[in-house]
Amino acid sequence: MTETTVDVAAKLEALEKSLSLAHTLNAEIFYWWCTALMVAIHAGFLAYEMGASRSKNALASGIKNLLAFAFLIPAFYFVGWWIYLAFPTGLTISEAASAGLPWSQNMGPNVADQASGIFYAAFTLFAATTASIMSGACIERIRLSGFTILAVICGAFVWNLGAAWGWHPQGWLVTSFGFHDVAAAGAVHMIAGFFTLGVLLNLGPRIGRYSADGKVNEITGHSMPMSLIGLMLIVMGFFGFLGGCIIYTAEGWTTIYNTPANLSAFGFNTLMSVGGGMIGAYLVTRDPFWMMSGALIGVIASGSGLDLYYPGLAFLNSFAAGCVIPKLNDIVIRKFKIDDAVGAIAVHGFTGIWGILAVGVLASGYPNMEGPAISFTGQFASMVVYAVLGFVPGYAASYVLKAFGLLRASPDAELVGLDKTEVPAMAYPESHIPAFAQNEPHVSPAE
Amino acid sequence: MNSAPITTWEGAEAYFTFADKPAVLMLIAALGVIVGAYTLVSMIRHENACYNYVKKKS
Repeated sequence: MTETTVDVAAKLEALEKSLSLAHTLNAEIFYWWCTALMVAIHAGFLAYEMGASRSKNALASGIKNLLAFAFLIPAFYFVGWWIYLAFPTGLTISEAASAGLPWSQNMGPNVADQASGIFYAAFTLFAATTASIMSGACIERIRLSGFTILAVICGAFVWNLGAAWGWHPQGWLVTSFGFHDVAAAGAVHMIAGFFTLGVLLNLGPRIGRYSADGKVNEITGHSMPMSLIGLMLIVMGFFGFLGGCIIYTAEGWTTIYNTPANLSAFGFNTLMSVGGGMIGAYLVTRDPFWMMSGALIGVIASGSGLDLYYPGLAFLNSFAAGCVIPKLNDIVIRKFKIDDAVGAIAVHGFTGIWGILAVGVLASGYPNMEGPAISFTGQFASMVVYAVLGFVPGYAASYVLKAFGLLRASPDAELVGLDKTEVPAMAYPESHIPAFAQNEPHVSPAE
Repeated sequence: MNSAPITTWEGAEAYFTFADKPAVLMLIAALGVIVGAYTLVSMIRHENACYNYVKKKS
């Protein structure tokens, strides 16, 4: 009898150990594939921005995306992850931060830690996404070096500070205002959009975008189909992004704020938001570029409350945003004369505001695990914090780069084309008309 | 070079190269930052050379 009891106890212990291991492995596998799916966002940005560029700048635009991706990986390892762990309470360093130092025992292969690496990976892809949001707005005139510096600042210093404040269970915006932004419409999209606004004010428009009399001239990209496929890839990658926004625990799924949620909720509202945004944008523009941007608008507009909304409400909310945001982009381009080549300020910055405030209007009163319940005033105050946090560093950093002549390509290079000027390869060699003379060797010193 | 922080897998935790030598990890991290900074400087020089070339040709 005693032996049987001992046997059962041993089996139970083994079973518990096995279940715990299965949970840990499932979590690792889940975030591994979320990270892999998020790479599709970067394939999407790559195609989208190359297509939106004139053929003379197609490769330079692509290199910009590749550089942002490549530089953000080490930058987020060396400093970005530490910033996220360090500053949830504001600007004082929390005790948990030491685990994010690049010389910490958690920041490398460790039998006892199966979480740090996989979360670092997912957050790095969030970081690269944030930096890439700025990328498209600046095409065809920004210097690669200036862009790379800005991408690192945005992706490894700014958005993650915002995420520590409001996309973290102990973030001060959460504990003070009850801020709710479950899919990072604010921490990623709004901050990136306002950072972009700051950069574009210093960068200025492409040559020829505006006539002396203020007339707006269309500069169309060389491949709308490439842009559309790129945007669809971004939508696909969003499923990895949104998967990375939900926490896998032994007890089930929770939001990043530790409130209950599940992938089923995300499944309902992600798709309904995509549909709503696309239909809204089609209704007001009839333009396939804006239809696909409408998909992004839809997800961002309902992103902050993706865990809470009735799917029909998410559809209507995203539909409304899909109708309004393209018009706001027109105001940015035509009234304020800001040459945002892909509508990033409106699609990410303004829709990020929409998403944050929508929760305050449509989902007020939901309780939080820490801090007050969700409220419009809490959402509004947090939105103001994010607007400032995004805009000020973007404006200041680009101002300094401009002062040192590192922000913008030379006018000659811009006119000739950035590919011809500095890329030792040709996008379309068979149809290429050399800018200087037939059969002249490529000018890049890289060769 | 013996970079292993462990001599047995029994009870091993952080087992990456030099995990038991924080000073070496700091040095490697610093080198990583320097590599990134150097590439940026190289990028700037490349751009400046290209812009000057285009200016002369135009």
